[in-house]
Amino acid sequence: MNVIELKNVEKVYNDSEIKVHAVRGVDLTFEQGEFTAIVGPSGSGKTTLLNMLGGLDKPTSGEIIIGGTKVSELKGSKLIDFRLHNIGFVFQSYNLIPVLSAKENVEFIMEMQGVPSKQRYLRAKELLESVGLGDRLDSRPNKLSGGQQQRVAVARALASKPKFILADEPTANLDTKSTENLLDIMEKLNHDAGMTFIFSTHDQRVVNKAHRVILLEDGVVTSDERQTPHQ
Amino acid sequence: MILSISWKNVWRNKTRSLVVVISLVLGIFGGIMALGIMQGWLAQRVHDGIYKEVSHAQIHNPQFMLNEELQHTIINYDKVVAVLDTMKGVVAYSQRVKVFSMVQSDWAATGLVIKGIDPDKEKTVTEIYQTLVEGEYFGGNHKIPSIIIGSKAAESLKLLNYQVTKEKIDSINTDIFPQVLIEKLKRIGDKRFRKDKDFRLALKEALSPEEFEVHSESLIKYFSFYRMNTSLRITIQDKNGVIQNPVFKVRGIYKTSNSMYDGMFAFVDRKQLNQYTELNDNEIHEIAIISNDNESGAKVGDKLAEYIPENSTMSWIKLSPEIAMFNEFSAIMGYIYVGIILFALAFGIINTMMMSVLERFKELGMLMAIGMNRFKVFGMIMLESVFLSLTGGLLGMLISGIVVSVLSRTGINFGMWAEGLEAIGYSSMIYPIVTITNYISIAILVVITGMVASIWPARRALKLNPAEALRTE
Ligand SMILES: Nc1ncnc2c1ncn2[C@@H]1O[C@H](COP(=O)(O)OP(=O)(O)OP(=O)(O)O)[C@@H](O)[C@H]1O
Ligand SMILES: [Mg+2]
Repeated sequence: MNVIELKNVEKVYNDSEIKVHAVRGVDLTFEQGEFTAIVGPSGSGKTTLLNMLGGLDKPTSGEIIIGGTKVSELKGSKLIDFRLHNIGFVFQSYNLIPVLSAKENVEFIMEMQGVPSKQRYLRAKELLESVGLGDRLDSRPNKLSGGQQQRVAVARALASKPKFILADEPTANLDTKSTENLLDIMEKLNHDAGMTFIFSTHDQRVVNKAHRVILLEDGVVTSDERQTPHQ
Repeated sequence: MILSISWKNVWRNKTRSLVVVISLVLGIFGGIMALGIMQGWLAQRVHDGIYKEVSHAQIHNPQFMLNEELQHTIINYDKVVAVLDTMKGVVAYSQRVKVFSMVQSDWAATGLVIKGIDPDKEKTVTEIYQTLVEGEYFGGNHKIPSIIIGSKAAESLKLLNYQVTKEKIDSINTDIFPQVLIEKLKRIGDKRFRKDKDFRLALKEALSPEEFEVHSESLIKYFSFYRMNTSLRITIQDKNGVIQNPVFKVRGIYKTSNSMYDGMFAFVDRKQLNQYTELNDNEIHEIAIISNDNESGAKVGDKLAEYIPENSTMSWIKLSPEIAMFNEFSAIMGYIYVGIILFALAFGIINTMMMSVLERFKELGMLMAIGMNRFKVFGMIMLESVFLSLTGGLLGMLISGIVVSVLSRTGINFGMWAEGLEAIGYSSMIYPIVTITNYISIAILVVITGMVASIWPARRALKLNPAEALRTE
């Protein structure tokens, strides 16, 4: 079943003096349980594409349909609510609320969804355990390493029970070991729980772990291949 | 959870928040002190106005109100007294005879209203007996009857004299006045001055200009004294229009906080006065009534007007509209002051909240991206602002509360400006008053200020585009 559909999506940035055609006529579909890497040189439009997928940005033309909803047409609080209930986000940095502990960061998104507090606590604990942070529930973000922070972000993204998780260069600020560790966790969640991941990266080792690799060049999809993950 | 996030966010930049908190503490402290002093002042004025001057209600013959002549005494006096004796809410009352007179000392003359009173009954109604600065309140057996006059009248009659007596020189405090000065004072000699002006001149001659500048006021006070037991010749008209010239001796001098009052009224025993007015014991010009408190006092006044319509009864609200106004508006000035301070402080809060929002653009972008709606973002920032202002506000109120509770017992001495203040009816000792209602209202004002101050920063936060805020540079 198709979870996400992009139909002839275009994005033109018009706000500065020069027009930038960041994404040109992209047609893509993603299915439940995919583990997809989006790669391409800097400025090729990866972030732009992911932002449109996540409802953070609007396509100039074309449409994006997620689970039957035309996201590209949602506005205001409807769009924010849609994001809250359907999409998990992991950003490159500034993922967490600095004044809250790891556990509270995970609970916070559930609170916004209206999950009762007892349930919130149990699920946050379980998720943090599943990303290997069962012993760091009460640590504030500044007491965690970059890799641990990204794992909390993954747990947070999962907590909202989204249809898929978007991650824009989640490993860009991490060392080799933490990168590997984060990818392993994401892969495991994909394998065990069937969670759909779409992530962008510059790192070849991360690309190697993907099941599907989409190459973006100058805003155009120039290759879209399935592969067997390898080292 | 938003509550806890907001509270913690306030303290992310401790120094910056503390600056705002401290400025709020100082501002609120200043505001509450001003409010407390204002209210203390006015409450005292209201108290003095009622318990030293007008009482809670007064009864007169309506004719007397128009034309204060001797024959306009209270109508149906026996009935009036019977009503007063049985009516609920009447705590005490005092019957007075009031005559206009010319009063002469050996050195000067002045016009005074003489109130003939029953000294003991008057004590239950007015606090004049507590305000004596010299002499005694109608005691002892004297051949020549006693009169109690105000300090201002004593001055007019030149009874306030100045003299560098040997006893006063001997008991002078050498810590305050240096020995050299005392030597110079001795040169003035044991001479009596009847006018403040003359004594001042003598001091000026004896002392160097600097010494005069520093010490003259306190010296004038120190060497002043009232001439007691002075005979005053009083000119009044009796019931039959015949001029009478009795003599009374000054045996007491009172001083209220209202120097106008002190210059206008003198007290004598009604029975002794009536020997010259030819009035009977049941011929009374004025009955002053005291009730439990100001509010019931006003009610008693209105009730009496119904029971004894043949006379004119007025409550303190009508007798002294100025005091009634003080009573009503006492807090308003203070609140205006607090409001102005909070208005100024709001700019500090806006500035701090704005900085805090701009600094957190990426974080706020992230929160909006993952699904925090505008309402919650707005609420979070508003709460931060309210917490920030309330911390300062409550701390300021706590400190003010402690200071006010001490000062409300010890009082604040505004003696420096006392002369000016007393002339317009204020006492120089002020006991600040701040009520629970005041504190609650100020707390609400602080919360409102915090909320209003957050609107602009919060709107700025809502305008941000999460996609742009999150683009890492
Ligand atoms: N707000 C904007 N206004 C104008 N141009 C923009 C804006 N955002 C991005 N662009 C441009 O759009 C193009 C695509 O940018 P995008 O950030 O999507 O690339 P990317 O593939 O994510 O690059 P990187 O690998 O460096 O993250 C770039 O040329 C960029 O300069
Ligand atoms: Mg990018």
